[in-house]
Amino acid sequence: MRESKTGDRLATLILAALAALVMLPIWWMFRSSLMTNAELFAYPPPLAPSVWRFGNYRATLENFPFWIYFRNTMTIIIPSVVGGTLTATLAGYAFARLRFPGKDILFMLCIGSMLLPTMVTLIPLYIAWSRGLGLTDSYWPLILPFFCGGGAFNIFLIRQFIRTIPRELDEAAMIDGAGPFRILASIIVPSIKSAMIVVALLLFIGLWNDLLQQMIYINSGKNFTIALGLSQFKGSLQSDWSKIMCATCMSFVPGVVFYLVGQRYFVEGIVMTGLKS
Amino acid sequence: MPNKRKRKEATAAYLCLIPSIIGLIFITYLPLLSVFALSFFNWGSGAPDPKFIGLDNYVRLFTTDPYFLDSLRVTVVFAVLTVIGSMIYSLFIAMLLNRKIPARGFLRAVFYLPYVLPSMAVYIGWSWLYEANFGLFNYFLSLLGAEKMKFIADGRLVVPSLALIGVWLSGNLIVIFLAGLQNVPRVYHEAALIDGANSFQRFRHVTIPCMTPIIFYNLLMALINNMQIVTPALALTNGGPGNESRFITYLMYQSAFINNHLGYGSSVSTVFFVIIAIFTVILFLTSRNWVFYEGDGK
Repeated sequence: MRESKTGDRLATLILAALAALVMLPIWWMFRSSLMTNAELFAYPPPLAPSVWRFGNYRATLENFPFWIYFRNTMTIIIPSVVGGTLTATLAGYAFARLRFPGKDILFMLCIGSMLLPTMVTLIPLYIAWSRGLGLTDSYWPLILPFFCGGGAFNIFLIRQFIRTIPRELDEAAMIDGAGPFRILASIIVPSIKSAMIVVALLLFIGLWNDLLQQMIYINSGKNFTIALGLSQFKGSLQSDWSKIMCATCMSFVPGVVFYLVGQRYFVEGIVMTGLKS
Repeated sequence: MPNKRKRKEATAAYLCLIPSIIGLIFITYLPLLSVFALSFFNWGSGAPDPKFIGLDNYVRLFTTDPYFLDSLRVTVVFAVLTVIGSMIYSLFIAMLLNRKIPARGFLRAVFYLPYVLPSMAVYIGWSWLYEANFGLFNYFLSLLGAEKMKFIADGRLVVPSLALIGVWLSGNLIVIFLAGLQNVPRVYHEAALIDGANSFQRFRHVTIPCMTPIIFYNLLMALINNMQIVTPALALTNGGPGNESRFITYLMYQSAFINNHLGYGSSVSTVFFVIIAIFTVILFLTSRNWVFYEGDGK
C-alpha cells in the first residue's frame, strides 16, 4: 500500500503526542513523590524535581508498611492466579476438544455468566462465607473462588486458543495410546503457554482492582492488602501529597513488573483467540 | 471399542469441568437466585433472623430511599460517558497502532499501562492531579486563564472527572480492538483498493463492518463493567459531594455492609441486575441491525 506512507508518519506523530499525554499523569505522580510538599505547592509547578529526593520513599516506608502489604497481597494473588489459570485451562480443554453429554448447555451457562455482574452476587456470597463457613477476616473467600474455573472469559480464551491447534496432533497421540490428560499435558499445554500467560495477567489485574471484596472480607490492619493499606494511609495523611505519591508509586510497581514480563504474549494471545464465533 | 473410548473421554471432560461446575453453581447461579430471594426479607441490624416482608424492601427503595434515584442517575450517566469516551478513544488508538509505525510494541505498552495499575492507587494519584488549588489540571486551567475548579469535590464535575479516568484506564479495549483489526482479512482491503476506494471509504465499508462483532463485544463488556463502578466512591468520594458519586454498587455496599441491612442491600442488587439485564437485552436486540458475522450472507 504505497499511498499510506504519509498516513503512517502522521499516525506516528499523533500516537507519540497521545502517548506523552497518557504518561503525563503517571509522570506527575512520580515526580511529585520526589519533591517536598513546599515544592509541590509552588507556582508554576516544575515539570521535574530540582533534586530527586529518593529519601522520601524511606520516610514513607516508616509509616506505610509496604512490604507487609505486599506479602499479604501476594498471599492472595499467587494462589488465585495459579488456581484460576489451572482450572480455566482444564475447562477450556474440555470445551475445545472433548465430547460429552451436556456440553452445549454447560458451555451456554458458562458464557452466560460473563454477562452477570459480579457485584450482584456479593451479598449471598458474603453471607455464605462469613456466617455459613465462619470465615471472617480471612483470605479464603478471596482465593477459593479462583479454583472454580477462573472466570468465563478466561475459559473462553483458552478454548479458542486450543481450537487453533491442529487436531491431527491429538489424534496421533491417541493412536499411540495417550489418554485425554496425557494429551493435555504433553501436547496442548506446551502450545498454549502464551494464552495461559494472558489468563494469568488478566487474573492478576482483576485481583489488583477488586477493592470492594478486599474491604468486605479483610478487617484487621495486619492483614491489609496494598490497596487497603494505601486507602488507610491516604486517610490518615490527608494532604501530605509527597508521601501519598510515594506510597502510590510503590503500589504501581508489582503490576508494572508483571505486565512487562508478560506483555509480549499479550496481544498475540488475544489475536489468536479471534474473539468471534 | 469406540464406546469405551467415548466413555473415557466423557469422564475426562467431567473431571476437567468439576471446578468450573462447582463455580457456576455455588459462585454464580445459586447466589443469583439467593440474592433475589433475600430481597424479600428483612435481615440485619434490628432483625437478627431473616423475616419475610414481601415487597417492602422494593417499596421503600422506590418511594422513600433518599439515595436510590440519584444513584441510578449518576451510575447511568457515568457508564454512558465512560463507555462512549473509551470506545472512541480505544478504537482510534487501535487503528493508529495497526499501521506501519516505529516502536509499535513500545507505544502499545504505553497505552495499555494504565490498565495494569492497581485502581486504588490510580484514583489516589489522580485525586492529586485534580487537587483544587495545586493540582496539575488547575495549573492547565490557569495557563488558559480560566477559573480554578474543584473537579471531584464539585458535584457537577465529579462524574465527568471520574469518567476521564475511566477512559484513561481503557487499555484493555485497545488490545481487543487491535486483535480484531489484525484479523480483518487483508484481501478485503486490497480488493477495495483496486476498486479505487480511498482510506475513509475503506474504513467505513471494510474495517467497520468487519469489526462490528468486536465493537459489540467491547461495548457490552465496557457497559457491564462501568455500570459496576465502585472503587472511586470507596477510595475517594464516599459517594459525595451530595449524592453525585453514590453509584449503585456503592449504595449496595453501604446498605449491606455499613448499615448491615442484608435484605435491603439484596433488593438494591436485584434491581441493579434487572437494569443491566435490560441494557444487555436492548444491545443484543439492536445488534441484529448492525453486527455482521462472516458468512451471514449480508
